[in-house]
Amino acid sequence: MDNIASHENWKSCFSEIGPGLLLFARQWTRSAADAEDIVQEAFVKFWRRNHRINNRALLYATVRSIALDFIRRDKRRARREATVFADADSTVEPQFEWEDEAQSALAAAVSCLPHEQREVLVLKIWNELTFSEIAGALGISQNTAASRYRYALANLKKSLQPQ
Amino acid sequence: MNDFPELENELKALRPARPSPVLFERIEEAMVENCRASAAADAGWSWRRFTETPYRIGFALAAAAVLLLFAAISVERQRQEDKEVAQVSPASETKAVLPAFSGSSVDRSMSSNKFVPAGATQVVYNTRDEGLQFADGSRQPLRRLRYQTQQTWQWRNPSTGASLRVSYPSEEVVLIPVSGQ
Repeated sequence: MDNIASHENWKSCFSEIGPGLLLFARQWTRSAADAEDIVQEAFVKFWRRNHRINNRALLYATVRSIALDFIRRDKRRARREATVFADADSTVEPQFEWEDEAQSALAAAVSCLPHEQREVLVLKIWNELTFSEIAGALGISQNTAASRYRYALANLKKSLQPQ
Repeated sequence: MNDFPELENELKALRPARPSPVLFERIEEAMVENCRASAAADAGWSWRRFTETPYRIGFALAAAAVLLLFAAISVERQRQEDKEVAQVSPASETKAVLPAFSGSSVDRSMSSNKFVPAGATQVVYNTRDEGLQFADGSRQPLRRLRYQTQQTWQWRNPSTGASLRVSYPSEEVVLIPVSGQ
């Protein structure tokens, strides 16, 4: 794919990857507005540095890095996020556009996953990254990424089974 | 390998919320602003940009021109020094053969830009016997010896401490009469 800087229609490029990027950024923020700030900063930074848009691992790593900086910048927010991550009931919820109760339950189940598993799941399912790219974006091994993904699916399956 | 194909399909069917239209505008604004900043930065000097553009050809040409200029200046300066040595040399030769070549005899009244002789050596590094020969009209044989030497002359400027040394190879042929006894 083209270099993002020379991409004439960056809007179509962003509309393609934007929702996934935003969902990924939501892993560290409570509000969509904060996530949008992060995505904006990451996307512009990525574009400014003339990286190739197919280097998705780097793009998501940029989002992650900016999200972590975003949290560090505001210590009060960091404390709040830490509290949020510690409490499963109020875990940061990715926003989904669900159509029925089944999808709503699925979205809720996803939001209850441990953070590290949800992170991999978000990158794999809604951003269509390979395990190699996920490993690059998160700074983990490919096997760890694959294993976290399997655990995430197993946990989801378990939580969705009727009691 | 995949144990959860149905679950994966269900997850894929779940669409994440789309970014707000405002985000597009904000990103566009940020990009435009960034372009302006880049344009302003372009006015400044950037080594990376400089080396990546055709300017580097001009830079290389300019560097080559400067080197040539330095080389020309150096050659000219060398010529001038050679002239000075040539001017100083007769005096030094005269002084060199004098026994008072040591420090006490150095003419201290010389002006500060003059060099005074500071030493002279002659090293014979090869002697070749070229056999006997008879000079024209002579009945006495002569032994012809060829000496190959390295001569070195040194001058020093007492006021500045600068020194000049000239070294060159020389050959000398000596004819020695051979006694018939």
